[in-house]
Amino acid sequence: MKKIILKSKAGSLITLLSLATLLISSHTFAQRIHVNGQVFDSYSRQSLPGATIQVKGSAATSVADADGKFRMYAEIGDILLVRYIGFVEQEIEATEDEQQVSIYLKENLTELSEVQVTAALGFSRSAKELGSSAQIVDADELNQGKTVNPLFGLSSKVAGLRINMYDSKVDPAAQVVLRGNRSLQRSSGIDGRNPNEPIYVVDGVPIPNISRLNPNDIESITVLKGANAAALYGSEGVNGALMITTKKGRKGEGIVRISNTTTFSNVYFLPEAQTTYGQGNNGVYSPTTFESWGPAFDGSSRPFGSPLPDGTQPMLIYAAPARDNRLDLFQTGVNVQNDVSFSGGDDVSTYFLSAQYVTQSGIIPKDQNDRVNLRFNGSRDFKKLKTSYNFNFINNRKDVTPDGPWIGSYRMPANFDYGMIRDWEDLNSPGNPNNYFIPNGSWLRNPYFLIDNIRDQSNQQILNGKIELNYNVAPWMDVLYRVGMYSSSDEIRSFTNKYEAEGTRNTPGSVNDQSIFYRRLNSDLIISLKKDFGDFSNRLLIGQNIRTDYRKTQNVSASNLLYTDIINQSSRQGELAGGSAITEQRSLAVYGEYVAGYKDLLFVTFTGRNDWISTLSRENRSYFYPGVSASFVASDAIPALRQMRKLSYAKLYTSWNKTGNVTLTPYQLNNAYTQSNGFPFGNNIGFLPGLTNPNPNIMPEFVTSYEVGFQMGLFNHRLYLEGAYVYSDADGQISNANISRATGYNAMLVNSGRMTNNIIELTVSGDVIRTMDWNWNLGFNFTHTNNVVRELYGGADFRQNFRQSYAFVGDQFPMLWVSDYQRAPDGRVVVDAETGDPIVAPDNVKLGPMVPPYMLGVTSRLEYKGFSLIAQFDGRMGGWFYSETIPPMYEFGTHPITAAYGREAFVWPNSVIETSPGVYVDNTDILTSGGGKEFWTRQGAVQSNTAAKADFFKLRELNLSYTLPNKLLEGQKLVRSATVGVVATNLFVITHSSNNIGDPEYLYNNTDGYYSFRQVPPMRTVGFTVNASF
Amino acid sequence: MKKINIKLLFVLLASCFMACDEFLDVNSNPNSPIGDNLPLSAKLPGALVSITNQEVLQLNQIGAFWGGYWGTNNEGINQFFDLKTYNGQNIRSQREGIPVWENGYNNILYFRLIQNEAESTGQLFYAGTSKIMQGMMFLRLVDMYNNIPFDDAAKGSEVINPAYEPGQVVYQKAVSLISEGIEDVKASGTIPSNHGDVLFQGNKSLWAKFGNTLKLRALIRQSEKNETQYVNAEIQKIITEGSGFLMAGELAAVNPGYLNTNGKMNPFWAAYYRDVQGNTTANYQSIRPTIYLLEQYQSKNDPRLERLYVPVEGSYRGVIFGNSEAGNPIFERNATSAFRGPRENSNQATGIFHNWNQSSVILSDFESLFLQAEAVHRGWIAGDVSQLYQQAIARSFDYTKVPEASLSGYLAQSAVALADAQNPLERIIEQKWLALNSISSIEAWNDFRRLGMPNYPATAASGITGRPLRLMYPETERGTNLEQVEAQGSDRMLQDKVWWMP
Repeated sequence: MKKIILKSKAGSLITLLSLATLLISSHTFAQRIHVNGQVFDSYSRQSLPGATIQVKGSAATSVADADGKFRMYAEIGDILLVRYIGFVEQEIEATEDEQQVSIYLKENLTELSEVQVTAALGFSRSAKELGSSAQIVDADELNQGKTVNPLFGLSSKVAGLRINMYDSKVDPAAQVVLRGNRSLQRSSGIDGRNPNEPIYVVDGVPIPNISRLNPNDIESITVLKGANAAALYGSEGVNGALMITTKKGRKGEGIVRISNTTTFSNVYFLPEAQTTYGQGNNGVYSPTTFESWGPAFDGSSRPFGSPLPDGTQPMLIYAAPARDNRLDLFQTGVNVQNDVSFSGGDDVSTYFLSAQYVTQSGIIPKDQNDRVNLRFNGSRDFKKLKTSYNFNFINNRKDVTPDGPWIGSYRMPANFDYGMIRDWEDLNSPGNPNNYFIPNGSWLRNPYFLIDNIRDQSNQQILNGKIELNYNVAPWMDVLYRVGMYSSSDEIRSFTNKYEAEGTRNTPGSVNDQSIFYRRLNSDLIISLKKDFGDFSNRLLIGQNIRTDYRKTQNVSASNLLYTDIINQSSRQGELAGGSAITEQRSLAVYGEYVAGYKDLLFVTFTGRNDWISTLSRENRSYFYPGVSASFVASDAIPALRQMRKLSYAKLYTSWNKTGNVTLTPYQLNNAYTQSNGFPFGNNIGFLPGLTNPNPNIMPEFVTSYEVGFQMGLFNHRLYLEGAYVYSDADGQISNANISRATGYNAMLVNSGRMTNNIIELTVSGDVIRTMDWNWNLGFNFTHTNNVVRELYGGADFRQNFRQSYAFVGDQFPMLWVSDYQRAPDGRVVVDAETGDPIVAPDNVKLGPMVPPYMLGVTSRLEYKGFSLIAQFDGRMGGWFYSETIPPMYEFGTHPITAAYGREAFVWPNSVIETSPGVYVDNTDILTSGGGKEFWTRQGAVQSNTAAKADFFKLRELNLSYTLPNKLLEGQKLVRSATVGVVATNLFVITHSSNNIGDPEYLYNNTDGYYSFRQVPPMRTVGFTVNASF
Repeated sequence: MKKINIKLLFVLLASCFMACDEFLDVNSNPNSPIGDNLPLSAKLPGALVSITNQEVLQLNQIGAFWGGYWGTNNEGINQFFDLKTYNGQNIRSQREGIPVWENGYNNILYFRLIQNEAESTGQLFYAGTSKIMQGMMFLRLVDMYNNIPFDDAAKGSEVINPAYEPGQVVYQKAVSLISEGIEDVKASGTIPSNHGDVLFQGNKSLWAKFGNTLKLRALIRQSEKNETQYVNAEIQKIITEGSGFLMAGELAAVNPGYLNTNGKMNPFWAAYYRDVQGNTTANYQSIRPTIYLLEQYQSKNDPRLERLYVPVEGSYRGVIFGNSEAGNPIFERNATSAFRGPRENSNQATGIFHNWNQSSVILSDFESLFLQAEAVHRGWIAGDVSQLYQQAIARSFDYTKVPEASLSGYLAQSAVALADAQNPLERIIEQKWLALNSISSIEAWNDFRRLGMPNYPATAASGITGRPLRLMYPETERGTNLEQVEAQGSDRMLQDKVWWMP
């Protein structure tokens, strides 16, 4: 009874009546009747075969036949739910036996045309108005893999969006590129974003980084692709925008949600190693070398290292264990996410409060990352004034060992026993630095010693919030003021604990304490006006933006600490080192957007913005850039199209934009002098200029882009198609151009360099199966990026990007350019007629692009009753990558190829000899100069040997969940709903046969396709998740 | 409505423009000074230390391997691989290469900026010293690459594709630049006490002698080219100038006040001997003298041998440059002679390692004396060749901390005495080679390329014939100034010569 009263308060008489009916019907014996009916499309008046009719609250279901007709049992007073995909669900009441009903279902246009996207400046706009493409990822899609970092939840779900994970350390970094690279510049801006990264906008406020946001706080992410959509953000929007909308409370009863996700990570893809030969040199066993150039394993017991202080000689079985011994270095990482949120609201206010605690232990022992995330979003309306505010506090603590353990491990022999050296603190252990089998320092030290003594610790606190006031001056005019703040303070300590030992076994103590403070204030004042005149709608938005960025870094370090376990600069010898740097950047802008609509089917949008930015000279710091776009809803405009059942919705759009961009950091216009090479030596000072020739006349760079695209709903919205063609041309790039070093400088700040992108994006999604119980939705997104470097500074043909990564005029950027063997025209390797060794070609070769030109994302969602199985596949093709992990494996004899020829001289397979210029004969008998370390080290230095095709196809995310049926929860008021599930990432990955390196997705130092030995090998994660709401 | 719009817009814009300029004027660097804020006395020491580091680390290392001094034990078999295998392509590469060209022109730029400022403000001492140092670096770069830019060099954005000039032309222009530098230094007034001259402490006469010695080195370098007229004219200029050369006790050595702190020690010490905690470096562990070098010292009963190296079980054991036999136990780390330093010498300075704050030598008095001896021998200048020769050896003994008492006996040996030599030039070069060991090693390689003396073995690395004659033009240059590189023709390391080579 109480329930009914509550509902009636809500004011709906109908609801009250129907509920009353239900209540009554459940207490009386019902009368069984037949219901007959036919289901039609209300627009086309055609019947809808396959429509389902279900008795509300029961399993009784019927399906309409080929004529859209159905006949089913019901009880008087039953509510029948009529459903058809792409149409709005309708309810009818069963009133009498043999009732004949005609049901006209209305198309559910919200699915496409009524979609609201979070457009520029955080305004919600109807998707049909947009003259550029936007894709929405909702909370469910984002969280299907239960990633800790929301960026990884976007991987492979959006056409044109490429997200790469750096490696498998706890809290790995992410690289985000939307619609290809546009800039040759590598250095990050004052906010830490790299020049090819999109802008991140949280509830209307641009912030530098979203990787620490709580994914469960996110309601949706709208990906505005390309400069077009983000033109109003100015420079930073040139690479597109990720518009994040966080959750808000809703009017109604308060809801409490709790969830736990616990997953386990394990390493799974190590570069293959040989298991035939063990430690030694030239085939002779040595207990004190780590290199695998010893004799073949024979199962005997052999001394390992030198005798220990107590006189015992550690022994090791000289055989490779069945299980890859390198796996012993790794542990199972555990990731636990605990979430709780409270939300609610009434007529004038809303409330959302959430807390998250994440604790992650890494696959490298003792690596740990913990995060606390608190959010409070609220709003209140005062008649014409609407106010809202968001606050987000994040604390992230990280404690990891840098690089060390794995860098050494893949160089160790196959019988290396990790258990034996674990207890390094024991003075009599073979793992103790004084007893370790090799005397080498650096990363060849005992991995457990490195883990315990070399640590990077950081404690980051982020405070992020906004206040927004919106005053409705008149029905046609709103004034909005929004001020946002983002601050981050990072306390970092990197230290090496001193451990005294002989010679290179010694580990000197050092510590560097660093603090980085960053603050951004962003304020927007926006006036929006709208007025319709007949068939014409008008909307004008004008705004003004002020932004300030401030960064201060300071560090204090000492390189020679005196005592073990006293990690403090005061306990040092020699001089204290350190310094500080303050950088500040400011910008102002005015902007406007005008949208004209005709009959809600044709829209034209004009945008314009003028920026003033402090990093340019007074003369150049003001710049204006315009944009125009149009969209046309063909299916509304041409009724004939709508009459065709096959085409339910069609929109065409196009846009043109010229967007200004400034990728400078502050103070780049003048050459700063600094003290280096040890200066100051006490009172003696010495300054040197920077080696990048500054250029006070640098101008903004401009990216011109256009786009055409379509969106279509087919077969009564059963199939959706989206396509876009995008062209962008980034010219006059602000970059540090390499110049002849004979100019004295290494680089020069210039407006030069041009890169174009031709991009095709296709998205297809459809319901393969849709019945009462079953629903299988399959989605594909495909992207082809044809990126071409058109011009480099000074007419240069190529420019080094990073190590083997280059920009070549006429090719895709970045290009993998490596040394290779001399080859006959048919590709066979040419060997030296005298030595038999393959000849290294004098010039490097281009292997291919280091970013994949082809990307494919596949989403499969299968639902059966309360069960759902979601699989996210990610495929990327056409790229190459290079690994610097592999050359040491050649050098130290752990690479399988070093064991392939019995460590003897051999005939290089499939090789030829050049008898006279251009004449090649097969080499069948000339042996190589050797098959040992010298020979293979040389082959390892041939970089084409250590590169591979980067193609992959992986099951990125798998989510199996079960939502408890309402029946189970009946009879209690505590739990509203509950879901349990299993989540997994990277369950399988298929890679190219040439890839013995690792996950091609990983990257290093902001360089695609570059695999560093500092990267931890790939991991996969499996776990469970529980959600409940109250 | 339109009116309101325009008004609002106007108010917004107006309010912005008024405050705009001041609000945005935050782009002057609060962290570092720019050139205008610094006196030349703060810039000269930075440039001097930078060029010195290139000399004593990079160039000295190339010279030590290619000049017959250094090899590695088995532990260092993979170190210095490109030098040991004469791998010109790798040496020129941007990633693994040795950036002689790049650092060289950077250093020229540092001095060029000083020169430009000094000339415009009439500070002749800085103009002169920076010209002399630029001249030195240009000569070095010709020695390494042959044809290089001179007139177009170090002009920043004024000339972005500097044209190369023939090595010989650059040589002559560099010599003239040094001459101008000497004149400027001599014409400068009183040197302020905070001069920043970490090379000669503001001593103008030493700068002039240093300049003359550099010029003499450049002239001696072309001894095999029959440039008699030019050489004589230049020698005459030096004589007319009158300051003479660096004499005994006059080392061109830089010391900015090295400290016993990481990154502030003598760079050679920190790289090849011990770190701030007194632990030996990786280079110290793996670099060993060549067997040939030890034999030369031993054949002359040279007392410098025991000052320079640590014996293994009573004898001095070297390695073969290029490591022909990886894994041969006689080339193990512990079976071969490492450098001797104070730690191996009862904390007394010895050999080339004296102290972590020892000065970095860019041109030693003994090198100057050997150069003079050769010039006298060739009849270019007047003097007593034997006396200069003996003085040079004496200074080398002094530098390596050999007791003075052993000098006369050493000099008297027929394997040493100049009078007993069949080929006096060969003997001068032989002794010069022994003296410059690991100090100015690049000069040993230069002498070998000029005279083929002493005839130390080439690399033993398999599959390599020939010797390095120069460096290939660097990849950075190929990437930015390819037309000029290609215009120089053949660019091979083992075949193409520097202009002054016979």
